This record gives sequence, structure tokens and C-alpha cells, in this order.
Amino acid sequence: MSLFSQNLLFASLLFTLFSGICALGGRSLVFHKLSQGLLLVSGVLGMLASFKVLLAPQTVLYFGLASSEFFPVFQLDPYGAVFFLLISLVSFLSALYAVPYLASYQETYHLQSLNALVATFVLGMQLVVVSQSPMAFMLGWETMSLASFFLVVSDRSHESVKAALLYLVMTHLGAGALLIGFLLLAQGFFFADFEQLAALAASAPLWILSVCFGLFFFGFGSKAGLVPFHVWLPEAHPAAPSHISALMSGIMLKVALYGFLRVLLFILPPIGATASLFILGFGLLSALYGVLYAVVERDFKRTLAFSSIENIGLIFTMLGVAFFAQSQGLEGLYQTALIAAIFFAIAHAIFKSGLFLASGLIVRAVHSRDLEKMGGLARQMPLFSMVFFVLCLAAASLPPFAPFFGEWIFFQSILQNFSSQNLFVTIVLILTFAVIALVGGLAIFAMVKLFAISMLAEPRSEAAREVHEKPRAGELFSVAILAFLALGLGLYAPTVLSLIGASVLVSSPAEITVGSATIQPSLIFWLLLGCVFVVWILRRIFSRTAHERIYHGWDCGQPIDASMEYTATAFSAPIRFFFRLILKTKKTLVAQPVVATNPWITTRTATVDLRSIWMDYGYVPLGRFIIEMAEQVKKIQSGNIRFYLLLMFLTLILTIWVAL
Amino acid sequence: MSLTIAVFIQGIVVLALAPLVTGLVRWFKARLQGRHGAAPWLVYFTLLTTLKKENVISESRSWVFRCVPFVVLGIALFLSLTLPIVFPSGGIPQVDLFVLAGVLALSSVFLVLGGLDAATAFGGMGASREMTIAALIEPTTLITFATFASVAGSSSLQDIFGNGITVISHPALLLSFVALVLIVLAENARYPVDNPATHLELTMVHEAMVLEYSGPYLAMLEYASSIKLTVFLLILGNLVGAGLLTTVVIGSFALALFESTIAKMRFFRMQEYMSIAFFLALAGLILIFII
Amino acid sequence: MYILKLLQTLFLGPRITERKAQFLGKDVEFESAGQELKQMISSLYGGRSLRIRAVDGGSTNAEEIELTALSNAYYDIERFGLSFVASPRHADMLFVTGPITRNLERAVRSTYEAAPQPCIVVAVGDGACTGGIWKDSYAVVGAVEHVIPVHLKIPGDPPSPTDILVALMSILKKNP
Repeated sequence: MSLFSQNLLFASLLFTLFSGICALGGRSLVFHKLSQGLLLVSGVLGMLASFKVLLAPQTVLYFGLASSEFFPVFQLDPYGAVFFLLISLVSFLSALYAVPYLASYQETYHLQSLNALVATFVLGMQLVVVSQSPMAFMLGWETMSLASFFLVVSDRSHESVKAALLYLVMTHLGAGALLIGFLLLAQGFFFADFEQLAALAASAPLWILSVCFGLFFFGFGSKAGLVPFHVWLPEAHPAAPSHISALMSGIMLKVALYGFLRVLLFILPPIGATASLFILGFGLLSALYGVLYAVVERDFKRTLAFSSIENIGLIFTMLGVAFFAQSQGLEGLYQTALIAAIFFAIAHAIFKSGLFLASGLIVRAVHSRDLEKMGGLARQMPLFSMVFFVLCLAAASLPPFAPFFGEWIFFQSILQNFSSQNLFVTIVLILTFAVIALVGGLAIFAMVKLFAISMLAEPRSEAAREVHEKPRAGELFSVAILAFLALGLGLYAPTVLSLIGASVLVSSPAEITVGSATIQPSLIFWLLLGCVFVVWILRRIFSRTAHERIYHGWDCGQPIDASMEYTATAFSAPIRFFFRLILKTKKTLVAQPVVATNPWITTRTATVDLRSIWMDYGYVPLGRFIIEMAEQVKKIQSGNIRFYLLLMFLTLILTIWVAL
Repeated sequence: MSLTIAVFIQGIVVLALAPLVTGLVRWFKARLQGRHGAAPWLVYFTLLTTLKKENVISESRSWVFRCVPFVVLGIALFLSLTLPIVFPSGGIPQVDLFVLAGVLALSSVFLVLGGLDAATAFGGMGASREMTIAALIEPTTLITFATFASVAGSSSLQDIFGNGITVISHPALLLSFVALVLIVLAENARYPVDNPATHLELTMVHEAMVLEYSGPYLAMLEYASSIKLTVFLLILGNLVGAGLLTTVVIGSFALALFESTIAKMRFFRMQEYMSIAFFLALAGLILIFII
Repeated sequence: MYILKLLQTLFLGPRITERKAQFLGKDVEFESAGQELKQMISSLYGGRSLRIRAVDGGSTNAEEIELTALSNAYYDIERFGLSFVASPRHADMLFVTGPITRNLERAVRSTYEAAPQPCIVVAVGDGACTGGIWKDSYAVVGAVEHVIPVHLKIPGDPPSPTDILVALMSILKKNP
């Protein structure tokens, strides 16, 4: 048994590899089901391996057969086990989901390459989390990035290709930054592992550490989706197939978080106040921008992508507060905020994957990603809408679900530390508190908009009126499991928090009590449920339930139809108005005469477009500048061979002069 | 007395008093307008009459429509049981101020979904406005709660009321109290945020969401909003240090007087209201650490 | 200060609301649906607190003005437990005014069906009771009873607030 359990990790990665190879077998659905089945097994083994490491925190799993380890560079330590568990869980559920889901998309996607790429993607992420040296890390990172690039292009449409190219550029800039950072720290010794890097970093000069921090921040931040490096996220995540979006948004962003924390906690020495304020500032910026765009977006999956940006911003804010507290010597706040950040990251992985899997079902039912074409789906798919409702409530950070308790812990720990001696600390904490509260309120708005416009009221288009492709058992089951987990993680929050504390921190607190406040989520849950039940009983006692009649809605006596109900644009209009200085919208009004001879009778079309200020004022001018520079440099290529020979001669002289 | 008995008695008292508070506000407002007004206890008959009526349900609704009144009234019941508003030692200690803010947001979400499920433009408009107000009042709520929690040293209401924290415990708490009053007005759909007695749908926020409910469901929603108003009035009363009956009478009169002197604000000027509330709360919180 | 003078006028000044006894005990007979109306009112707790929705079926607005006057400080319909609401779903009584024009026939019927039973329909004004001077016009359907069942008729063109209140008090429980 110990042989088996020691090799769980290796077996899990092996099964992922087999899944990829098996997928290339042939065109029929058998290979598709077989490869997803192998991915399922890999997920189960991965979860077992992570539980083994987490529950007995002294164990570390190696790659090995018969107690001899090859590749000692790959180890699963307790910190990595938290994220490995997430990867295994979500890949398990997405494999379960993909079996019926992709079967209905056989014409759109090339199933063999898609499944092979999914396996490669999952393998890359697993390698990142178990690697203990920069080279292995970058190997896994690049596998992950390239596989996801090809996955985004899966449906080979024009907008997918554009989105994927933007994603490719951003992710390789990030990978380049990471590589330079690792090389700088290792002082050129590329085959060091993380422990040696930590030793080298302890004695490195300050300017190298600062540059490395900046590079790591850009590398991991751009992959995680921090503003202003987020521009690829709202394009790439909607373009990918839905279970891939779940993997990318739920897990890949967490892998970036894993990398960032691995560098900050285990390699670099404690960062100072300036760097942590840097993280805090960008985190708050991402949270605010993410949630504002999530509120005003009209595309279903883009809303979810912006919501991911917002949640990653929240996590980075919590990390910023944690490291800021560490720099000011507030150890309790440091530990609690760090644990809260990781707990929130786990909760986000669960509910965001669930939401993206659900979005796949909705988009397939309505044949469109546009929110304005949905509606009334709760009557067509009642069971699915209940599960989706639970996920939306969890995403809005409402009690009794998991993200609420993550935020509760964070607020409580900040509250306990308001009255520290340093006024600067107090001001920073107060401002963080205020912005996070605003972000929380707007996040509820975004999720209510998402659920209400797509599920409630009357269908707004023909496709939504008659849904032919209802969710099948496997798809519904995987989404339902994630919904249950979102609730269960909240109910068992104290246990999970102490587990995270034990695995992440070197010296962990024994239990999570923040000052005098203890967290008891199950009490609140059962009280709420009990009160609703009491109301239900009283209603049956005090009034007759049979005394009811179905009639059409109150329409002031005039016939109304589905075009008169509120749309997503209308629902988010007040927020667009109140935040109009930040959100730039472009309104176009086109008036066309109906009859050529009479210019007074016109049909008018009004369009409201959202503009991304980062693209308009940041990336597009930067892109133009780079192309300008390239045009200038192109002048060197005059085609004159004598000029080229002159250049080579000058280079030779310069090299000899430098070498001597 | 034991915790269960205290909670039970508190629940009965608040549930019995809640419609009377709404009736009192209406009666005081009528008297301030020079009219006679309906007797304060007539609200009980209104609720009983509504409870007996037929339940007319729209054919474009989904399962959410039926859940909403139960959840909203259930949450109102939860508030009246778990907050220590009548007995300072009553209530459940684990339900602290942050959980209170979360549970209030949950109640708003369900009400908004009920409004949108009606498939009419009125419901959508009310829902959109209510959601905006709830989202924008959230930072003010959390900062005000954080201020009171900072002064008391704990975010649990038991500790705040038990330690005798009132508005005069710290000068900055006066600012927070004013911010809390503004929050109470916004949460309970009172002037200047919303007019609870209007007939014009373009001016409705809370009323527009309940336009589609009738019979028992309507009675449940109206009862839930009276309970919420009573709970908030009692919280404010406890912070001022007044007893139960004084709070109910003086609080209703103050609300009626305030509503009679001010006009409802235009919805697109809400950012001014929210900014005032936010900066009052922020000033209160910062002043605690400076003074 | 102004507010002190206002409070003095409100609380210490002479009473301007007409006394309740003026509306009770009059022996005027109103055409009502008799037994069915009595049953409905007794099932609604004697009509202590009823909510009214005013529906305009094509009137001259004269009745509307009188209905608005019911809410002022002189007549004060609220002290009798009656109040106006915004939606027929919330209503226990419907005040229908005007002869029902062809354009609004569907609206009046839909309002009645949107109101939960038991719902008391009151026809206010001559046009609503009998069709008035537009009785056989091509543009009207006729009296309200041609469209929805009527339980109480209040004649008058328009009926003054006193007449309306006297009629209502004759069917509701005295001394609410």
C-alpha cells in the first residue's frame, strides 16, 4: 500500500500523458470518451495524492518507482498540494463534463487535437505545481501556455485567432520576464533548484531583488490577469470552449498565483513596505476595474472573465495587505490575510469553474453568447437553473457560501489591526477596506444581472423560446458538484482554513480565531434555513394555499411582449451613469430615412459600445510605437551587400575590442 | 434568563411590534399633514385582509418568484431573532455586524430577482435601482459597522451594546451615527431615497419590485419590510441608549417628521447622497484614530 | 420661526377635517349587489382596511378630481381605513369611472382580472353607473356592468367626496 501511495503522484501525471496520447487515436467518439476517462482517473489519483500530503503535513511525494526516485526536481510539498488538489478536482469535473458536451460539438472542434491539447494543458499545470527548480517550472509553464494558446484557437474563427494571438504575445512576454528573473537571481546558474535560489537571494544586493520582484510581478501578474496586464483575459477566455475556459479561469490563474507566492514565500527574502503597497495598489485597481466592466458587459462569458479579473484583484489585495503587515511587524495580520487569500483563491477556483461550465450549457442552448438574447431559461431548465443560482450566489460572496467567509476573515483581521500605533498603517487599511466593500457590492450587482437576465422573465429571442439541447446528466452532475462544494467549503471553512495554515506557513497558528471573534458558518446556514422553513410552515397555517390563480403579468391593461422587459444594458444603466468618468461608452445613433422622398420619417438604430481604456490609451499606442520603431530599423536592410559587409566588419572590431 | 427564552421572547416582541411601527409612522405623517389619519393598529387589519386574498401569479414567472417572499420574510425573522435589540444579552453572538451586512445583501438580492421575474418594465426598473442603491451603500455600511466595532473592540453586537457603547462614547461616533441614519433610510426605502407610498412607477424603487405580488405573498413582503424597519429603529435606539417603547414612538415620530420636511431625491442624484454618507462614515472612522 | 408656527397650526389650530358622523347613518339607498357584497365584506374583516385601485375607463376626469379630493385633509378617506394603491394586484376595491370606451374596454377587464378575489367593484359617477350622456354612443361599450360585474353604484356627475364617502360607509362596517 505504501508503494502505491508513494507513486500516486507519478501515476497521476502518467495518466494525464496517456490521456493525451489516447486522444490522438482516431476520429470516433470512443477515443474521446477513453481519453476523458483517463483524465478522470488522473484527477482522482491527483486528489488522493494531495490529500495524502495535506493530511500528514510532513510527507512530501516524489516521482518514483519502487522507492527509487528519478527526477528529484519534481516533488509535491504541502504548499503545492493545495493547488494540485484544485487542478485535479477541476480537471476531473471538466473531463466528466466534456464527454457529453463535446459530443454535441463534433463539427466545430477537431476532437482529437482538442483532447490531446487538454491533456497537455493539464500536464503542464501539474508539472508547474510539482516542480522544485526554475527549469522544470519554466518547462511546465511553457507547456501550459502553448497548449492553452492552441486551445483558444479551437474553433478557428476569426475572433478566436485574434484573441489567441494577443494571449500568445502577453503570455510570452510574461514568460520572458520570469525567465530573466530566475536567471538574475540564480546569477546565471540555471540548473539550481528553489532552495539554492533562496540561499542566493538571501545574499543578493537590493537592486537585483527589486528588479526581480518587478519582473516576477509582471510575469505572474500578466498570467493571473492583473490590470493593466489583463487585456488578453476578456478576449481569450470567452473564445475558448467552455470547459477549457473553466480550466483557464479557474485553475490557470491559480497556478500563476501559486508561482507568485512560491517566489515570495520561499525564494525571495521578506519584501518591504513599498513592494507590498505596489501589490496592494494593483490588486485594488484590478478589483475595481474588473467589477465595473463585469457589471456593464453584455456578453455572458466576458462578464465571467471580468469577474475573474476582479476576484484575482481581491486576492492580490489580500496578499498585499499580508506582506504590508509583515513589513510593519504585524505577524497576526500577515498570517490571517495570507490564509484568507488562499482560501478565497480556492473558493474562486470552485465557483468560477462551475460558472464557466454552466455558461457552456447556456450558450449551447441559446446558440449565442449575447445576454440580450437569453431569458426565461429557468422555466426550460429548472434543475440546472437552481444549480446555476447557487453558483451565482456564491460568486457574489453572499453568506452562507465560501467566498463570504474568506472576506469575513479578512475584514475581521483588518478590524483587529486598525488601532495599531502607526497612523500610516491605519490609513492604508481603512482605504483598502472601503474599496473592497465597494467592489463587493458591485460584484453582487454583476452576478444578479447575469442570473436574472439569462434565467428569469420572458425569452428575448426565438432561440431562447424553444431550447432543444437541454443539459445532460454528466454535465449537470459536474456543475452540481461544484455548487455543493461552494456551499460545503463555506460550511467547513474553519477546518479548511487551519489546513491551509498548516501547509502554507512555516509556523502556523493552531486555530483560526481572529481576536475574540470565532467563525461558525454552519450555525448561520442552519439558522437561515430554519427561519425560511418556519415561515413556510406559518404560511400554510395562516392562509389557504389552494386559493390562487395564474394570469398574465400586470401590464397596465395594454398588451406587452418580451421586448418590453428590462435588458442587461438597461439593468446596468445606473452604474454606467454613476461611473461614467471611468467607463467610457461610445453611443452611436444612426438615422436612416425609410422612404427616399421623405427625410422626416427615419428608422433609428442606437448602439452602446464599451471601450477598454487600457487598450485605447495603453496598448494600441504602444503597439503603434513599436511598429514605428520597427519601420525605422527596417532602413538598415538597404539590400546593399557592401553595407552589410561594413556592418559585419564593425561588429568584429567591436567584439575584439570588448574581449581584450 | 436562558438564551433560548430570551431569543424567543425577543422574536415575539419584534414580530408583534413591527406592523405597529409602520402604522405609527403613517399616523404621525397624517397628523403632520393636518389630517386625522388611519389608527396605528389598522396595519394589522391590512395585513390580515391581504393574507386572505387570492394569490394571482403571473404566467411568465419561474420558481424564483415563489421562493422570494419566503426567503425575504425568513431573513427578516432571522434578523429579529439573532440581533440583541430587545435584550442586550439576547441574540446569537456569532451573527456579528459583517454577517448582518451579508444577510441584508442576500435579502436585497432575492427581492430584486422577484422584481425581475415579473417580465415587466416596472419590475426591471425597480430592480435595477434597488440593486444600484444596495451596491453603492455597501461601502458606507461596512465602514460604519467597522467604526462601531473599533470602538467596542469587537464586531459582535452583543459586545457593542453590552459595553454600553452609545453615540456619546466617542465624539467621532456622532458622524457615524448620522451615516448610519442615512444607511437606514436607504435600506428601508424611505425618503429621500424612495417614496413608499407613491403611485408613479417612475418614482418607485422598492414598491416597483412588489407590484406583481398579491395575497399571502404580498402580506409576507410587506410584513418583512416592517420588521426590517423595526429592527433598524431598535438598533438606532440601542445606540442612543433609549428603551424599547421610547425608541418605537420617538423613532417613528422622527422618521415621520423627517419625511414630511424633505422631498424625495431624483434617482440620478443618488451619487450625491451616497457620497455624503460615505464621507461621513469615513470621517468617523478616521477620527477615531486621530482623536 | 416658520416651523414653530406650522406645528402650532397643526396641533393647536382649529380642526379642519369634517366629522365622521357627517358620513354615517344617512338613509340614502345605493344600488348595490346586496347579499354577494355583504358576504365579500364580511370575509374581508368587515371592510376595516380596504385598498382601492382607481381605474379610468374613459371618463371626463371630473370623477378623478373628486377621488383625488378624498385624500385631502378635509375628507381624509384614510381614517376610514381606505387607501389608494398603485397596482390592482394589491387592491381590494376597484373604483371604475367613466363610461367604458372601446379603447379601454380591454384595459378595464384586464385590471379586474388582475385583481385578486374577493374584489369589490364600485362604479363612480353617472357615466360608470348607466352610461350617462354617452349611453348609446358608437365609441363606448356602456356602463361598467357591461364589462365587469359591479357591486356598488355611486351616481352623480360627478359625485362629490361627501356622496362617495356616504355610499362607502353604507356598505362597510359602521364606526371602523
